[in-house]
Amino acid sequence: MKEEKCKVSENINIKGKYYSMKIETAYIAKKSRPGNFVMAAVSTASDPLLKRPFGIFRAAPPFIWLYYEVVGKGTELLSQKKKGDFLTLLGPLGNSFPGLENKNILLVAGGRGIAPLFYAAEDYVSRNNLFLIYGAKSAADLNLLDKLEALNMTGTYFYTDDGSAGKKGFVTTDIREIIETQKIDLTISCGPEAMFKSLNGELKGLDVENYASLEAIMGCGFGICYSCAVKSAAGDYKKVCADGPVFRLEDIEW
Amino acid sequence: MVAGQKKKAISEDMKTKQKFFGAPLRGGAIRGAGTEKKEHEQNLTGSAGAKRVGAPHPRRRQEQEKNDLSADLKFITLKNPLIPASGTFGYGEEFSPFFDLDILGAFVMKGIYKDPRPGNVPPRLHETASGLLNSIGLAGPGAEALKKIIERVAEKTSTPVIVNVCGADDEEYLEIAQVFDAMPEVALLELNISCPNVHAGGKCPAQDEQHTFRLVKLIKQNTTKPLIVKLSPNVSDIVSIALSAEEAGADAISLVNTFLGLAVNLENRKPVFNNIFAGLSGPAIKPLALRLVWEVARQTVVPVIGIGGISTGRDVLEFILAGASAVQTGTINMVEPTASVRILKEIEVLMTQLKIKNLNEIKGELRI
Ligand SMILES: Cc1cc2nc3c(=O)[nH]c(=O)nc-3n(C[C@H](O)[C@H](O)[C@H](O)COP(=O)(O)OP(=O)(O)OC[C@H]3O[C@@H](n4cnc5c(N)ncnc54)[C@H](O)[C@@H]3O)c2cc1C
Ligand SMILES: Cc1cc2nc3c(=O)[nH]c(=O)nc-3n(C[C@H](O)[C@H](O)[C@H](O)COP(=O)(O)O)c2cc1C
Repeated sequence: MKEEKCKVSENINIKGKYYSMKIETAYIAKKSRPGNFVMAAVSTASDPLLKRPFGIFRAAPPFIWLYYEVVGKGTELLSQKKKGDFLTLLGPLGNSFPGLENKNILLVAGGRGIAPLFYAAEDYVSRNNLFLIYGAKSAADLNLLDKLEALNMTGTYFYTDDGSAGKKGFVTTDIREIIETQKIDLTISCGPEAMFKSLNGELKGLDVENYASLEAIMGCGFGICYSCAVKSAAGDYKKVCADGPVFRLEDIEW
Repeated sequence: MVAGQKKKAISEDMKTKQKFFGAPLRGGAIRGAGTEKKEHEQNLTGSAGAKRVGAPHPRRRQEQEKNDLSADLKFITLKNPLIPASGTFGYGEEFSPFFDLDILGAFVMKGIYKDPRPGNVPPRLHETASGLLNSIGLAGPGAEALKKIIERVAEKTSTPVIVNVCGADDEEYLEIAQVFDAMPEVALLELNISCPNVHAGGKCPAQDEQHTFRLVKLIKQNTTKPLIVKLSPNVSDIVSIALSAEEAGADAISLVNTFLGLAVNLENRKPVFNNIFAGLSGPAIKPLALRLVWEVARQTVVPVIGIGGISTGRDVLEFILAGASAVQTGTINMVEPTASVRILKEIEVLMTQLKIKNLNEIKGELRI
């Protein structure tokens, strides 16, 4: 974990509100593991004050990539960064996805939740049977399809809420059937809270291990401020930044 | 007005104290060297063992000829005025990956109660213009766990460790103060009578002169380490509260804790926080804090530790000019974990630029 002044190598508008940024950062790129995230100083002034958390989308030293959605002031500022601009990053932060071999893994991504799962997919694909369910609101929010295609996963399933791309439905629509027919050993998911809620319901009672990468409003990113607390199923609070962002789905109170 | 009368009474009392100790009211005031103080010194140099809390390190002597950053708090001399504040610096060790804790003047542990506390129901954080509102609710592991953490951390650094003492009532405050008073690894206690996130409506002892006096006195009578009393800005007359704390035996006053604020969610027409109010911190509060520090520092004899929005070396010198003997940095540590390194560098550069040889030269020297 280091705070590093990095250089933006590329900041590309993929489509609509979605961007991908390539950043030169030898230290973070080398140290990062799938599931880790960074805190990015979107402004060099005091407003917005806090750094913003982003999952690492890809890493190939000396570069990392972010995949982000513009949702407010901070991400708007990030989208304005140009090639050659400096960007201070803190990272790599948080825990990582489990190391896996010879498993039938189902990745479940909702919207921008695809970011950390893409990194996981690159890591897992050669040593496991990898499946992906990827859902978003509409075609405008379903991105990176060519890159995902290029990974040659064993199976991919795409959904949109409105049917404008892939199948009309949610990531949970066919999940039980997929788990059964593909003999899935474990699921790894990332998306909005509502998705985790219904996922938790769908997966209850199935004989699969479930990991979830959570988002929360975050202060520091390295465990000191206790802002990003989520309630665990046991009743205590966990810090998304330092105890996570990856948790057993069942360990969180949904 | 009762409050006004009280203040006058205390001020008069301060003047007699003044005469008794024969020290000027402000600036380079020398605190009366009662036996009480001697005990502290002994405690610091004696039981804290080989720690260089009292005197500058020999290796620093050369640098010192250039810029003397040492901060004189009367009962302890810190190697510099920079003290990361409670709740924004974890237990110190979380910052070890970023820099050597030895560079700091001192640091304050996250506030502690007797038992483990889960903290408030989220959301706990809301960003505002150049600041943030927090409602953490003093989540923490409890006193026994903190003791172990302090033993571990103190082994890795010679920088004085300050414990931020909390309590649901006076008895708990006393119990916690005594637990950490007994630890040789702890240099100073900071009495947190000003957390706005524990009781409904942001109520805390620091909003009441009598309660402040009673509580500080209770702690002072039953502990031996120097006591810093941390004040709340959410009062109409902070000077009276500061004088009450001083009168009751506080060895230093730190201010401010966070300002009570309200965040509103327009969509659901509810307050953002379950406790309705939350505490505002960060650069946004700097001018408010600076004003309060100036007001308090010119009235108290004991040293004042300035807190509020400090993010740069320039901010630090401004607070010292307003009368602070040292400062605490809060929110900036969350935003920029290496901030302490940068701030210390900025102080050195500014001192050279402005031809300030030592910080005492400018303490309280704001030209009015
Ligand atoms: C561990 C982690 C990894 C993340 N990875 C990615 C990623 O790879 N790509 C990506 O696009 N986004 C990611 N996010 C979410 C991203 O951090 C937020 O969208 C961003 O901070 C919003 O900043 P803003 O200033 O643009 O929005 P703001 O103006 O601060 O807020 C706009 C809206 O977004 C909501 N929001 C703000 N912060 C968060 C947050 N941390 N989580 C959820 N909602 C939030 C606010 O409540 C508000 O409704 C991640 C969050 C976490 C905690
Ligand atoms: C997340 C957070 C937690 C805090 N926890 C404590 C605490 O435990 N005890 C305390 O006395 N003050 C606590 N404070 C207040 C700070 O120590 C400091 O007084 C305040 O934030 C103002 O300084 P700043 O503007 O530099 O942050 C906390 C502040 C923040 C932002």
